[in-house]
Amino acid sequence: MIRNSSPGTCFGFAVRSALPFHYLRGGGDGQTIDISAPSAVSDDQHGEVLLEWTPSSRFPLAGSLVRADPGYRLWIETWGWFLIDPETPHVTLPDTPNVVRREERLWSIPAMLCFLARGDTALHAAAVEVDGRAVVFGAPGSFGKTTLAAAFHAAGHRLLSEDTTCVRTSETPLVVPGPAMLRIRHDVAQQLEIPHATPVGTVADDRVHLALDPALRGDCNPVPLRAIVLLRRADRGFRIEPVPSDRAIRDLWSLSFRLPTDADRARCFTAVADIARSVPVWNLHRPLTMRDLPATVEYVVQHA
Amino acid sequence: MISPETRLCRNPQVVARELGESEGGVLLHLASGRYHGINTVGLTIWGLIEEGCTVADLIDRLRDLVEDPPPSLETDVLEFLMIVHERDLVIVEQ
Repeated sequence: MIRNSSPGTCFGFAVRSALPFHYLRGGGDGQTIDISAPSAVSDDQHGEVLLEWTPSSRFPLAGSLVRADPGYRLWIETWGWFLIDPETPHVTLPDTPNVVRREERLWSIPAMLCFLARGDTALHAAAVEVDGRAVVFGAPGSFGKTTLAAAFHAAGHRLLSEDTTCVRTSETPLVVPGPAMLRIRHDVAQQLEIPHATPVGTVADDRVHLALDPALRGDCNPVPLRAIVLLRRADRGFRIEPVPSDRAIRDLWSLSFRLPTDADRARCFTAVADIARSVPVWNLHRPLTMRDLPATVEYVVQHA
Repeated sequence: MISPETRLCRNPQVVARELGESEGGVLLHLASGRYHGINTVGLTIWGLIEEGCTVADLIDRLRDLVEDPPPSLETDVLEFLMIVHERDLVIVEQ
């Protein structure tokens, strides 16, 4: 476990905190983000509700995002309130003994709100580094992006993001590495050997939570974006095809995180269109079996 | 009804983005969340509407921009403008 007062970086932020962290990367450059606890918000405080959700595969707990001054308040069932000031930036976490899961929640919506304020874009996607450039995996359905990302890690490629990918839309779009974690299903963990990673946390759930070895994490310097691969299921064999920009926008839009405001929809649309215009987007049809994972990695490296 | 005398402007609730060369562009209607693909000529028309103009002016300017404009240019443009108007992407100025 990494634990000190200046523990490292995530999504390009240099973390400043006295709290324990498990998934940070090296380096200390970048905008400082303050992380503290505990948040003290009573449940009867009201504000404009921007988002509300019921449990789903992506967000397994109910929650709501409320506008606050400054920033936002995020309520997550059983956890309580996260206070997020993206401008400072500063995130205050609820008190809990389960610091591993709390950190995972931190690197989800709270971190997204902070890097959106910085001008970056959030995609519900995994990302890995291949020959110094980032390949992003989006799964419009539930088609194994985390498992494939784990297979890339097992094959020696650096994992940049497991679930939320931060994309910077400069002239050459970049991926800003996120937390160095992998959360894979137990059945996958039993079949796929994941080297250079350590289980963390003590609370059992449907996933094995792994922290990647610090020596392999690298830092949060942005990595040029080589391609976006949309994962599709095929009964047999591999097939990859380019996705026209206008169709790619539809898929990237569905993978993007945005607030329900005109300004944020416009920001997100502009970013997604710019990504679709400047980065190759592929549909990858591949068998969804564990034994085909190494071949899938090889196929992506060669073709995407 | 769109006629040559109609004066149009863009709906400010629409965000446009050009795609790659020869790929045209996309328009997002913020209120509905629907987006619409347009070809390169449609994108050119969208650019000409920027300041607000009459349809007749727009057609004249487009004719200057297009190499070998087809005889059906005016009809084609009117048809395009009726579609984008129906989709609330442009507004008829009173």
